Amino acid sequence: MNPEKDSTLVDILDRLLDRGAILNADLIISMAGVPLIGMNLRAALASMQTMLEYGIMEDWDRSSREWYTQLEIKLPLEPDENILYRAFGYLQQEQGLVKCWIPGIWNITSERLILWIKTPGSILFEAPLEELLTTRVPSTHETRKELELTYPDGRARMSLSERDEFEQALRDAREKTARAQDKPGSRMTAISAESSS
Amino acid sequence: MSEQEAAVTASTARYIYSVARSSERLGLGEIGLLRSAVFTIPYKDISAVVHSCQPSPYESKDRSVAESWIIEHSFVIDQAMKRFGTVLPFSFDVILKGDDSAVSGWLEKNYYRLHEELERVKGRAEYGIQIYYNYDDLAERLIEEDSELSEMRSRIDSESKGRAYLLKKRFNQLQKSRTAQRASDILDRSLSGIRTLASEIMADEKKRIPQDYQSLSLLASYACLVEDEKVEQLGKVLDEINEMKGFRVRFTGPWAPYSFVKCRDLS
Repeated sequence: MNPEKDSTLVDILDRLLDRGAILNADLIISMAGVPLIGMNLRAALASMQTMLEYGIMEDWDRSSREWYTQLEIKLPLEPDENILYRAFGYLQQEQGLVKCWIPGIWNITSERLILWIKTPGSILFEAPLEELLTTRVPSTHETRKELELTYPDGRARMSLSERDEFEQALRDAREKTARAQDKPGSRMTAISAESSS
Repeated sequence: MSEQEAAVTASTARYIYSVARSSERLGLGEIGLLRSAVFTIPYKDISAVVHSCQPSPYESKDRSVAESWIIEHSFVIDQAMKRFGTVLPFSFDVILKGDDSAVSGWLEKNYYRLHEELERVKGRAEYGIQIYYNYDDLAERLIEEDSELSEMRSRIDSESKGRAYLLKKRFNQLQKSRTAQRASDILDRSLSGIRTLASEIMADEKKRIPQDYQSLSLLASYACLVEDEKVEQLGKVLDEINEMKGFRVRFTGPWAPYSFVKCRDLS
């Protein structure tokens, strides 16, 4: 048989988005419509929604982490809500043609799990703690670990380096919340009563 | 120089399609993204194939727009392959900051590696091989060939209801495992044939399956770097698989060596 060259879009996408030569460090501005490291890290990160699978991400992971941790975090909280744990990590999102990882700060509060993006200052993900399930899934990355999140509105995939710590923090937060809410009429009590009946 | 040309010259970045074997500065026409003028920037005997742009990425939330850019990018690489022989293809949306001299400086800095890579892929191209199979066809054929399976199946009808049920269950299990075994045997055999012909071979984690093949199961997907004169022979090896009942081979190429460029970390 002869090779066909009526290259379909799928063949082209496979090659052009996932392969081919790329550049490292300061010269990179973007890949696959996703700005990476630009002339100035900060400017690039301002609109940054990046993919971590592209092989050059170790340095980048470090630098964006540093950049993020320098920032003052002003996450809007409910009255009585407080932040119990915070870690740099990522949320997976479908961005048109590619799946990409969006970096931000994962916050476990007394009420919710939140992914906070400092620029432009938005909550990219939130789910109530009491209805959130996390499942470990195989990681596509060497140092970061992944978790599948299941919550009333759907599913999502997150990744971070300190998975054990994060899971522990989530358990602690839940316990705390459960204790705080363990009074007649609270939602938590209502749910456990339902499930035991 | 028109105002427009002046603006382009002043653009402070170069979108890079590939690195090719050429020592001349050449215009390739307005074949780039958004009909940009594509040209080469040489250093010694190698050249970057680029167009001038602003130092910001091509981004679009519109899928069809992004797809058309990607097709344009691939078109430029194909044209460069026709003109210069095998090139080192770049991923979509890689942009070098700076003007032509920055690009030639970059070529100079990475000359040794780029040159070596171009040597490695010279006279070769990438081919995609995907082996698909139809599970039901293969399972059916297996019954004809496997006496244990065929004997078991013929017994099912003559047994009592309860025993037939259990036998059927066992039959299904055995059929499944034998079919999987057969598929993997065929794969091993074909892979050894492909191996002898390809200079390099890579298992390819193919995420996207063309429409026509979606009813079949993908058994294996490879990217192979193959010398031009061995392509015909490779086609014959693939014919043997393709002609087996229940199997279908998809053979695509020639591609620029996207899967084989080792320049994933150029600085």
